[in-house]
Amino acid sequence: MSAPLVEAEGLTCHFRSTALFRRGPTVRAVSGVDIAVSRGEAVGLVGESGSGKSTVGRLLLGLLKPTAGSVRFDGCDLATLATAELRLLRRRMQLVFQDPYSSLDPRRRVGAQIADGLAIHDLVPASERPRRVAALLDQVGLPAAYAERYPHEFSGGQRQRIGIARALATEPDFLVADEPVSALDVSIQAQVLALLAELRPRLGLAMLFISHDLPAVRHLCDRVVVMYLGRVMEEGPADAVFASPQHPYTVALLSAAPSLDPTRRRTRILLRGEPPSPINPPSGCVFRTRCPFAISACADGVPPLRPAGRTGQRKACIRDDIDVSAMPSAVVDSV
Amino acid sequence: MSWFLKRIGLSILLVWIVASIVFLAIHFVPGDPAELLLSTSGFAPDPVAVEELRRRLGLDQPVLVQYVNDFQRLLSGDLGRSMKDDSPIIDAIARRLPRTLELIVAAGLMGILIGVPAGTYAAIRRGGLFDRVASALSALGLAVPVFVMGTLIVLLFAQTLRWVPAGGYVAFDRDPWQHLTMLAMPALTIGLHLAPVVFRVTRAAVLDVTSRDYVRTARAKGVGPPRVLVHHVVRNALMPVVTVVGLQLGGLLGGTVLVEFVFNWPGLSGLLVESVSSRDYPEVVAIVLTISILFVGLNLVIDLLYGALDPRVRRR
Amino acid sequence: MNRRLAVSLSGVGLILLLALAAPILPIHDPLQMAIGQRLAPPSETYWLGQDEFGRDVLARLIWGARASLFVAAVSAGVALCIGTALGVLGGFMRGFVEVLTMRSMDVVLCFPPILLALLIVTLLGPGIGTLILVLSVLFLPGFVRVAYAGVLSVRSNEYVEAQRVLGASRGRIMLRTILPNIAGPLLVQLSLAVAAAIVLESGLSFLGLGVVPPAPSWGVMIRAARAVMDRAPLLLLFPCIALTLTIFAMNALCDALRDSFDPHARTPRARARRVADLLAPGLLPPPRTAQAGEAVLDVRGLTVEIETPGGSIQPVQDVSVSVAAGETLAIVGESGSGKSLTGLAAMGLLPSAARVAGGAVLFEGTDLARAEEATLRALRGGPMAMIFQDPMSSLNPVHRVGRQIAEAIRAHQTASWGEAHRQAVMLLAKVGIPDAARRARSFPYELSGGMQQRVMIAMAVANGPRLLIADEPTTALDVTIQAQVLQLLADLKRESGLAMIFITHSLPVVAEIADRVAVMYAGQIVEEGRVVDVFSRPLHPYTEALIASAPAEDGPPPTGIPGTVPPPNALPSGCRFAPRCGYRIPACEAAPPALMTPEPGRATRCIRWAER
Repeated sequence: MSAPLVEAEGLTCHFRSTALFRRGPTVRAVSGVDIAVSRGEAVGLVGESGSGKSTVGRLLLGLLKPTAGSVRFDGCDLATLATAELRLLRRRMQLVFQDPYSSLDPRRRVGAQIADGLAIHDLVPASERPRRVAALLDQVGLPAAYAERYPHEFSGGQRQRIGIARALATEPDFLVADEPVSALDVSIQAQVLALLAELRPRLGLAMLFISHDLPAVRHLCDRVVVMYLGRVMEEGPADAVFASPQHPYTVALLSAAPSLDPTRRRTRILLRGEPPSPINPPSGCVFRTRCPFAISACADGVPPLRPAGRTGQRKACIRDDIDVSAMPSAVVDSV
Repeated sequence: MSWFLKRIGLSILLVWIVASIVFLAIHFVPGDPAELLLSTSGFAPDPVAVEELRRRLGLDQPVLVQYVNDFQRLLSGDLGRSMKDDSPIIDAIARRLPRTLELIVAAGLMGILIGVPAGTYAAIRRGGLFDRVASALSALGLAVPVFVMGTLIVLLFAQTLRWVPAGGYVAFDRDPWQHLTMLAMPALTIGLHLAPVVFRVTRAAVLDVTSRDYVRTARAKGVGPPRVLVHHVVRNALMPVVTVVGLQLGGLLGGTVLVEFVFNWPGLSGLLVESVSSRDYPEVVAIVLTISILFVGLNLVIDLLYGALDPRVRRR
Repeated sequence: MNRRLAVSLSGVGLILLLALAAPILPIHDPLQMAIGQRLAPPSETYWLGQDEFGRDVLARLIWGARASLFVAAVSAGVALCIGTALGVLGGFMRGFVEVLTMRSMDVVLCFPPILLALLIVTLLGPGIGTLILVLSVLFLPGFVRVAYAGVLSVRSNEYVEAQRVLGASRGRIMLRTILPNIAGPLLVQLSLAVAAAIVLESGLSFLGLGVVPPAPSWGVMIRAARAVMDRAPLLLLFPCIALTLTIFAMNALCDALRDSFDPHARTPRARARRVADLLAPGLLPPPRTAQAGEAVLDVRGLTVEIETPGGSIQPVQDVSVSVAAGETLAIVGESGSGKSLTGLAAMGLLPSAARVAGGAVLFEGTDLARAEEATLRALRGGPMAMIFQDPMSSLNPVHRVGRQIAEAIRAHQTASWGEAHRQAVMLLAKVGIPDAARRARSFPYELSGGMQQRVMIAMAVANGPRLLIADEPTTALDVTIQAQVLQLLADLKRESGLAMIFITHSLPVVAEIADRVAVMYAGQIVEEGRVVDVFSRPLHPYTEALIASAPAEDGPPPTGIPGTVPPPNALPSGCRFAPRCGYRIPACEAAPPALMTPEPGRATRCIRWAER
């Protein structure tokens, strides 16, 4: 197996407000995360708010500096690069944003914004750029004439497509999509997801798809990483994780999602209480305060990722003896 | 609680910075201060007089020594002596400051009592007759500078109608009624200058708050209109209004200058203008310092008030 | 460029033109004295009269404008350049540079403006140069703050981060992305500064500390005229009027600029009206008669209208739904479907720009659309309750949550504050908030999203409602928290047998919790029926497409619906969904289809339903 394109080891990012007279509390956004994305692979990064998934995305792109751990892109450690070198590397990794309404500059035509990457890195002479922009718009299913319009003339779904076109302009090898469809209507979500699913194999993109929406991840991704409170709980091939989740949190997450399928509808696992704050995560396993299977040993140390299940999954749980399918559940009638 | 203490500490720090800046301004201005003070109509002053003044003002000492000396004097309440008649400046300030303050308080009350209810009502009945008339009047009021307002008021009430004298001052304990009559006009001038500003910000704040979700929730709970208005709308609209009123009052601390001049009201600002005209530098410095310190104090009160009104400010 | 902006711009432009043209206009020399004719009234050669030295008032007015405007423009310009540079650097670089710039501006702001002016004038003597210096320093903090706030606000937008991701250098981002986007507020600030400068300059000149006579300036003229006020009142009035008019024009320009940059200001002219104020019997078309049932809420032919600058639109049209006790009705639709407005209309909580234009809303027999506000208020929060989508903005930020619940209790029951507060604590415990007594004293910002929504639910059920309208209550919450809240609602409903209307855009949620569902598209109901039936056999193409769009764990990937929802002011003439429908035939676009009832309890608006 060739080396992964993007590789992070022991990635940690702790934020602390550094105003001059006010030292704020430390927010442990990401702690000890290992993640890898190979060429042409799509990895789904799943978690709820406070899980640190967006932070991981930005760490992998070098937009944030990790407090500990390393990020390697194509074998090159990002921390060793000078600012100018890092900026050059940006050609090869791009980001699609969550909010279609603030990801485009309201004062400039969309064609100019799509061509930004080409202009900054001087990839294509100015006379050639309109043609490239037209080709990119076509690739995302929009007519070339749209290049002359302003962002406010477009709907949310169209803006997301423009954002994707902008990200693809420099022909990157790695694309991070940070909740690209969360702000869209359901019928438009499906359109944009279908677009991403189609583009990925065609352009040979490696992709990190960050989302809180599990079913969407399943269709798009080869592998899935589940995060909670800054740490990885489980990871493995997408089908395996969805069909037979190994970690109690994954089970709860999957069952909490409402579903159209009548057979899955009736039982739902309810987690107790609220997620703890990332400022003060529990010691040892961060999930133990809400886990129905927690034992005293769970507080003793952060559980490492260990192989589990039959098909290449790994889970961060010290217990092997739990029957996840026998989790205490609540039978839910219709409300 | 710690938030309040921090704000107070910050204000003390600011006072120190302000005083230092005033000190620095005098000493690092191009040219010799003593020469500047004595030069009139472009003639070079008599060197002996300059030297004498320098010694008197302590300008012949190294800057750092002067700084420490000045501060020590300041802390002990000695604000120096006027160059005109060598009297302690602090006496003059103590005499005149209350007169300026009473003007500000009277005008502030007038501005708030007119502006807040009018602004609230105009916002509730937005687009109605009252709103349009009041907004037009307020636009006009904002366009008239305060000294123009004062001069025109003198023209109207004193000269044409002869209801009140054109200006001057009578101490309260000598003749309360006359005192109030003479206070009325300058206070009215500033009050009418303040009211449109208060009106505008109140109206904007009430309009903004009324469209917020939590007002909708209050209505959804079935809470009656008076309670919604007071406890939800006005309560939240107060915050920007307090800030703006505070800023305006702070500006007034120096801004009464013009009104005191127009009405011959012997307040602190009037003294300042006299000192500036006569280049009585110790007096100018002392007055500027006093007013600036009051200004910082006022800002502190506004900040504390805001913190009491809005709990979100107090966290971290 | 709207009218207000054009008018004020031309007003200011005119004054500017006059001032600039002063040297070439056919007017007298403003400095030329004619002592013999001092204080002469207006005459043929001297249109506005002569001043105390016999000089032409009109000429001095025009040249005075020149002085004032020159000082104002230069000082505002200087403050703009330096202030913007400082503010942008501080906002962009953060760290030490930021602290330094912002704190030093705070210090400048410690001095009341006139005082600072007087201090500097004392040291440097009066004159135009000093004046410009003073005014520039005074206006600097304003620009720094506006630029700084603008940079921070722009930075929070993702398009700035997008530039970073693309590899743009900091300089490029500052100049080409941030600066153009803060130009608006800076322009407004510039106009404010110019207006303020005119006022300050005239004030200082009035005191004798600004422009040095005999050079004309309005402040100087007013000062001189004051001395001879009793003999020549007109002399005083002319400069006062000139000054006031100029400042008025500048202020009008400031306001027009501010409004043109602020998108929120362009809301339609709101009319302060309640549903009850507007409607009187006879003005509304009669409600559609229907059989009596045990419906708790029966909405019949509801139409909501909004006035916009482009005409009136109907975001909700002829909507009929009903819900019985113990039942959950889901109203599902995407953005622009009108589902939220339907819920708000039922409660009488439409925003002031909207009104009910037709239909009836029957709550246990009473028509809410025609009821008095007092009747509605007695129902709201009592027998009828509503919870909203964003709990953070739906709770009053300055009151503690216990008090807000107690307020709801006191609005409908006779209870003292103490008693109401005790009940509030019990309610908080009932909705699953741990440590309820302590939490009751929290402010909303101290609670998480899930807990805030529980507080909202507690407020809604405080008075034992018979109907609960929930407008997307879990959309803003995490999946596991959503599950908890839905479970809570289920428990509460089971206990009290209340009827619930659940408005949502998520079909899976509908499948989980509702008995019946009404699907809305572009303001109309397109399908209705029992959840089990509608989901297994949808009778409208939109419903079918929505089901296909909803991501499912197994099965094919979701397919979207091409095209977009038509805006309410550009609706297609036939079926509103036809442009995006895979089953359309010419008949669909010919005429708007009516709602048909193929079976009892089912409704659909597709003329081809029989072919499913």
